[in-house]
Amino acid sequence: MNTPGLTRRNFLAGLGMAGAAAALGGCATSVSGNSGQSGGAVTVESNLSSPQAKSAMQALIADYDKRGSTQASLNTVASETFRVQLPTYLTSANPPDVYTWYAGSVARSYADKGLLLDLSDVWHTMDDYSPALRSLSTDASGKQIFVPTDYYWWGMFYRKSNFARWGVRPATTWDEFITLCQTLKSHGVAPIGMGAGGSTAWVASAWFDYLDIRINGAQYHRDLLAGKHSFTDPQVRTVFARWKQVLPYFDPQSTAVQFQDATTSLLQNRTGMMLIGTFFADAAPKDALADIDFFQFPIIDPSVPVVEEGPTDGFFASRRSGHAAGTKDFLTYMATAAAQELYVKSSSGTVIPANPKARDAGTPLVAKGKAMLAKAADLTQFFNRDSSDALQPTADAALTQFFDKPDQLDSILSTWQAAATKVWSA
Amino acid sequence: MTRRRIGTVGYHVGVGALSLLWVLPILLVVVTAFRGFDDIAANGVGSLPHSFTLGAFTQAWTDGGEMRAVINSFVVTIPTVVITLALAAMAAFALSRYRVPLRRTLLLLMLGGNLLPPQILLVPVSKLTELLGIYDTLPALIAVQTGFGLGFYTFVLQGFMRTIPDEIQQAAVIDGANTWQVFTRIILPLTRPALAALAALAFTWVFNDLLWSISVLRTDTEMPVTPALLGLQGQYVSMWNVIAAGSVIAAIPTVAVFLRFQRHFVAGLALGAVK
Amino acid sequence: MTVLAPQRFRFPPVLLLFVLVPLLVEGFWVFWPAIQGLYLSFTKWDGITAPQNVGFGNYRAMVGDPVFRKALLDTAIWLVLFGGLSAIGGLGIAVLLQKERRGVGIYRSALFLPVVFSLVATSLIWQAMYQPDGLINKVLGAIGLSGWEHSWLADANTALYAVIVPALWREIGYVMVLYLAGLKAIDPALYEAATVDGASRWQRFTRITLPQLRGVNAVVLSVIVIDSLRSFDVAWALTRGGPYHSSELLSTYMYSTAFQSVQLGYASALAVVIFVLAFGVIVTYLVRAFREAE
Repeated sequence: MNTPGLTRRNFLAGLGMAGAAAALGGCATSVSGNSGQSGGAVTVESNLSSPQAKSAMQALIADYDKRGSTQASLNTVASETFRVQLPTYLTSANPPDVYTWYAGSVARSYADKGLLLDLSDVWHTMDDYSPALRSLSTDASGKQIFVPTDYYWWGMFYRKSNFARWGVRPATTWDEFITLCQTLKSHGVAPIGMGAGGSTAWVASAWFDYLDIRINGAQYHRDLLAGKHSFTDPQVRTVFARWKQVLPYFDPQSTAVQFQDATTSLLQNRTGMMLIGTFFADAAPKDALADIDFFQFPIIDPSVPVVEEGPTDGFFASRRSGHAAGTKDFLTYMATAAAQELYVKSSSGTVIPANPKARDAGTPLVAKGKAMLAKAADLTQFFNRDSSDALQPTADAALTQFFDKPDQLDSILSTWQAAATKVWSA
Repeated sequence: MTRRRIGTVGYHVGVGALSLLWVLPILLVVVTAFRGFDDIAANGVGSLPHSFTLGAFTQAWTDGGEMRAVINSFVVTIPTVVITLALAAMAAFALSRYRVPLRRTLLLLMLGGNLLPPQILLVPVSKLTELLGIYDTLPALIAVQTGFGLGFYTFVLQGFMRTIPDEIQQAAVIDGANTWQVFTRIILPLTRPALAALAALAFTWVFNDLLWSISVLRTDTEMPVTPALLGLQGQYVSMWNVIAAGSVIAAIPTVAVFLRFQRHFVAGLALGAVK
Repeated sequence: MTVLAPQRFRFPPVLLLFVLVPLLVEGFWVFWPAIQGLYLSFTKWDGITAPQNVGFGNYRAMVGDPVFRKALLDTAIWLVLFGGLSAIGGLGIAVLLQKERRGVGIYRSALFLPVVFSLVATSLIWQAMYQPDGLINKVLGAIGLSGWEHSWLADANTALYAVIVPALWREIGYVMVLYLAGLKAIDPALYEAATVDGASRWQRFTRITLPQLRGVNAVVLSVIVIDSLRSFDVAWALTRGGPYHSSELLSTYMYSTAFQSVQLGYASALAVVIFVLAFGVIVTYLVRAFREAE
């Protein structure tokens, strides 16, 4: 029945003890200790989530497993999930061994924090790789921390049949390019397409990158992205001055649609050409692929050495991996010509293998792209890969605003610089 | 008689049109699920369909690993909903029917837990699961989801339980019922509409959850439905028809649960009988 | 209508368990990480190296941050528009669908379907509908309102309001469910008595339904405030806070700071601000509601 209930004091004491118990638990911010174990498969964490790329990776893993003593197991997550969780993966108690990632500053930043395995042993088997790739994969202390497996290029893509129909030819210089735009406009077509809307605002950065490396050169561009120059510099202003010259020829919808829809616009002859990377071919229906061609971003200043964007993909490994030997063996396999050819064959075939002895897909498009990159004096990686994923949103905001209100350039650049400074000083 | 029939017809036409308009975006998703990829690539997502195929469904179910993901979602959702509603009902019972000291503070404290943006708890929680050694396991996700929903469900349930007249409880106590029996035999059944509503909502949230799943789980075979759907998106290019098909498949369990439970809102209360 | 006599029972000791077990579970999984989040808001942390203490530096930076001020304003607008419209819409539809008649289950499910359907696919469709040549502009043109056509998600003036529509679309079904349960709890005898007294339908609504829903209103208000301040999925999926912060909410700003700029200390400070705002709004209302009821 009615027991003489607890007094308030007893109740509070009970709560207090419960509170103390709840205060257990470690600090959320430490890098967990290594519970590493040897033996077992090498875990490969992959962000190649599109069905075709995923099955290509599965084919590679199966081929590797057939060969030898070590086994590998593949874990694929969505690429945005992967990007968000990568710091968590690398600092967890039992990190995956191998990760797909990109070459450039985005890899080196993890090396600088001491999270990556030294892969110089693997590079001893990669003597025939180009010195450019080797230095791209080297961190600040001179160790190699990255194994490149393939790279691709950016270009002004167009439909051959359309250009023939409109009676125009690809441009090589900036003046020719403007004339080309004018001719296309007279045909009632939006000369330049772009899909920088919603979540693909980053494609606009390709224009910034290319104008910067054509006008100011690769070294200035890299230094700017590293924080050694300011976005309010006169050199950056000349970039935007040039850009304003072609702004009227951009598709008015360029910041309203995502790049996959912009690809559809290009293929449906509503736009003339688009500065995009070869990955866009995955968004095209197969019967349109044969009709696609590209030309190099026009030369603005003939005295500036020609630089191209050649983003490079590959792998790195965790320093606290429990299977260092197996990891290096796996990466040695990934660097071989046979593995890279297998990947190219199983995927969409628009990438160029990093191993100089590996054969690519052999299409005229790939041959042209490869030749263009081989002739370049230097290769940059793309805005976010040369700086950081943190700097990319600042560019997205600035460039989208530039498309909307080009006469507010002064405030746009000073805002950009302020936002970038916060990122560089973080 | 005719006026009532006109009223009924008018009602169904009006509400039916509203429902159709409401469902329109989802119908568009279903239409997209039946298109081929080349059709979408050539004509855009917003265009009329030029193809009809079931390929997207098979691809989502097998290659996309959706079958496993749906199973994972069930394995996580059912225990979570049962445990969290049981715990919330217990707390709500104590806080609403008894003069517990600090009861209003405790209620606000529990509700406060739900006012925190979950995004900021992601990193500490994932480290916590690591510390306990349950990182990358489904039980960890169950534990996290249970904890996170408690505050809100307790708040809602206590709101309903407060309105139950004291006479019913008094009568049971006089008849010799102990606290546990009062809880299970008297109060819980009377709270059924609220429990049904919350069960339907909780099922939906936990089944479709994204952020906790990607923070606590790492292996692709453990992922529930929404991260698996995201995983169908490529690095640059996504197969929208496969993703649409996957979404349709993922929606079927939650719609079925809702259809089943919404009947319980009907179960007019026993309250009407006490007079 | 007499308020229920506040005759609560004496407190049996077994109830300690009833309260403590849920409290402990929530304390472990929510409060403890939240305290760590609070600690992080006084640091600068990149997620990898050790956090550095900066005291109130993050909060001071917030005051001078134009994006924060924009996000705060947008969140206030969102709270009023999204919150107000979802309450009114949810209540209206619940009233329409409360009577059990043939087919009502189907209508309720239709309204609830957006809540249930994965945003991954529906955000794609909304984006397609909002495109300059998408369904919405086409319909506007067809009914003669082509002057109203916009690039809804890309235009800085319309982006925020354009995002509210799908958010409402997803929220109203949810609020409807809560109001349905509340409407079910109203004693039908009250309505009978009022009809006998000659009350019109509107009078029955305002004099009986609305007051009886006061308890549910507290819940709905909490839900709406919680969802407004945490409203993240729809805004992020459609615009990511863009174009150039035009549809930036506190929640999207917090997410981008945490997971794009990887400034976890600043992001934690933003989260604390969101929490304080939400708590402030809800507590003032709830304290008053509690006092009224007891």
